[in-house]
Amino acid sequence: MTPAATTFHPPREPRRQLNTEPVWVRRLLISLALSFLAFFLFLPLAFVFTQAFAKGIGFYFKSLTDPLTWSAIKLTLLATGIAVPLNCVFGVAAAWAIAKFDFRGKNLLLTLIDLPFSISPVIAGLIYVLVFGAQGWLGLYVNAEHPWFPWLAHWLDEQNFKVIFAVPGIVLATIFVTVPFVARELIPLMQAQGRNEEEAARVLGASGWQTFFRVTLPNIKWALIYGVILCNARAMGEFGAVSVVSGKIRGQTNTIPLHIEALYDDYNFTGAFAVASLLAFLALITLGLKTWVEYQNARQDETEISS
Amino acid sequence: MSVEVKNAIKQFGAFTALDRVSLKVESGELVALLGPSGSGKTTLLRMIAGLEFPDNPQESQILFYGEDVTTIPASERKAGFAFQHYALFRHMSVFENIAFGLRVRPKTTRPPEKEIRARVEKLLRLIQMEPLGPRFPSQLSGGQRQRVALARALAVEPKVLLLDEPFGALDAKVRKDLRRWLRQLHDEIHVTTLFVTHDQEEALEVADRVAILRAGRIEQIGTPDEIYDRPASSFVYDFLGNVNLFSGRIKDDSVVIGETAFALTEKSGAEDTDAVAFVRPHDIRVTRSASGQSTLPARVVRCHAAGPLANLELERLDGGGWFTVQLSREQFHELQPRTGETVYVELKTVKVFAESLPINYSI
Repeated sequence: MTPAATTFHPPREPRRQLNTEPVWVRRLLISLALSFLAFFLFLPLAFVFTQAFAKGIGFYFKSLTDPLTWSAIKLTLLATGIAVPLNCVFGVAAAWAIAKFDFRGKNLLLTLIDLPFSISPVIAGLIYVLVFGAQGWLGLYVNAEHPWFPWLAHWLDEQNFKVIFAVPGIVLATIFVTVPFVARELIPLMQAQGRNEEEAARVLGASGWQTFFRVTLPNIKWALIYGVILCNARAMGEFGAVSVVSGKIRGQTNTIPLHIEALYDDYNFTGAFAVASLLAFLALITLGLKTWVEYQNARQDETEISS
Repeated sequence: MSVEVKNAIKQFGAFTALDRVSLKVESGELVALLGPSGSGKTTLLRMIAGLEFPDNPQESQILFYGEDVTTIPASERKAGFAFQHYALFRHMSVFENIAFGLRVRPKTTRPPEKEIRARVEKLLRLIQMEPLGPRFPSQLSGGQRQRVALARALAVEPKVLLLDEPFGALDAKVRKDLRRWLRQLHDEIHVTTLFVTHDQEEALEVADRVAILRAGRIEQIGTPDEIYDRPASSFVYDFLGNVNLFSGRIKDDSVVIGETAFALTEKSGAEDTDAVAFVRPHDIRVTRSASGQSTLPARVVRCHAAGPLANLELERLDGGGWFTVQLSREQFHELQPRTGETVYVELKTVKVFAESLPINYSI
């Protein structure tokens, strides 16, 4: 539109007033923010990588291929491999129930999903020790004189089944701290999308599963992937809860973060940073994936709006 | 009888959406459910579709062609439903949206791919959107989306077609076009159709019969003519609009409005009761002189004669407020009313509703 065609010019004055800060104030604020980011985020990241390669690339790869490191990597992958799919299924189920149905105790369920965010991971670990430890319910059950199902107690005893200071405890702790990620990501989206499309599918004769796989799931695809990425990053990096239940037996119950701590405690700084660089890489990949998913999501929204 | 609802009750918390509603719809009929918001019209429609269930399943019944479907879920009722905001599947093309109802059928009853394609293409022709099959819902206009929603509902060959505010979210012109198109479509395919609307003009223009709902009850059901000419209650009169209200008092065989008494056609036998007289703007005669006894004096506030009819805004001299009169162009030219002058009006067809009496009267 040419200026002549407009009948009304908004007054320019107020807009200029918003930007009246002198140049030096603006530059000062920007440089403050940037130096803060550089000092607290970029510098440590750069430091991790320089330290990791401090004794050369040979030592770096030797640290990574060390059997103890390798066992930590495998354990982390195992715990993540179990926790992420389980939380994915649980998160979708919980979000579906909360967003699409009305039932008693809905708010309680919402609060429970948030519990792992509000509770300290150390306490989460301690809960598992109390329940499944040698002095906890599981220990009491296995060692009881007349347990309820003697064959089960006998079998557990025979297998030397342990949760605490063993792999099951680590998996449980990882699941606990990562519960909210997928559900929290999906609930607002599914609430915003409403029930109309599902109702339409039902009236058209679709069964519950058909409605879910053909209508609900495609609509939440990007948010779900986003939630899984965050859940995965947290599962791999979890330290607090896992450190309480693991017992830190090297080569057996050490995850990557625990192994880094162990190496550091041994004054093997370069080795510690070499393994830490793995987690840093993971963080960078997560950020990259996150940006890509956000971009895809925004593109999808855009095609929905531009009509 | 293709659709019948008997005695249905539905409550949401303390709010009563349906209060013992019964409704019968003949096969092939186009029926409008008309009412203000909160009157329960959408709830009734959703109940017929199977998206809501009555609170009194023992006493109530929903029948499709005589078959009891009260407890049958939405997915097995074979009703077609078009939602107010279309609820198209946003990640599917127009073609796939329409094909959805056929594709989700179990293998034994699912038509072969070739037939599905043929059916969808036929429906695309019907809604005049043949080249737009590959488009996504986000790339369509409101009117196009509504037509796709209709085609999607029709694809499963429903026993009943249910439309929730089909033109609610569209602008005035598209609305009118689509209204006419729906009427034509119904005359072509003759599927029993119920649609919800809060627009009286829409209901009266499109439907074979109109059911007027108020606070969870059906106030009146009838053809548009019946509803317009013989409203059963003051609510229906008021809701249909285009009417003047004169409050007065009934005294035996006449109704007194302001200082003028109008004789009733029947004796009321009542002593001095509050009453409201409803008069349509075209049922009022305007003269310059107080010829008979039963005339009301009024002042001309405004006259506008654009269009086939002329509208006069009049203010009663007895302080009873404003009312509207509609004159034909000839009457208007004969009278030549000027703003500010005093005229006398005669009420030709009047319906009087007395609040405390069960019977209604006419003049």
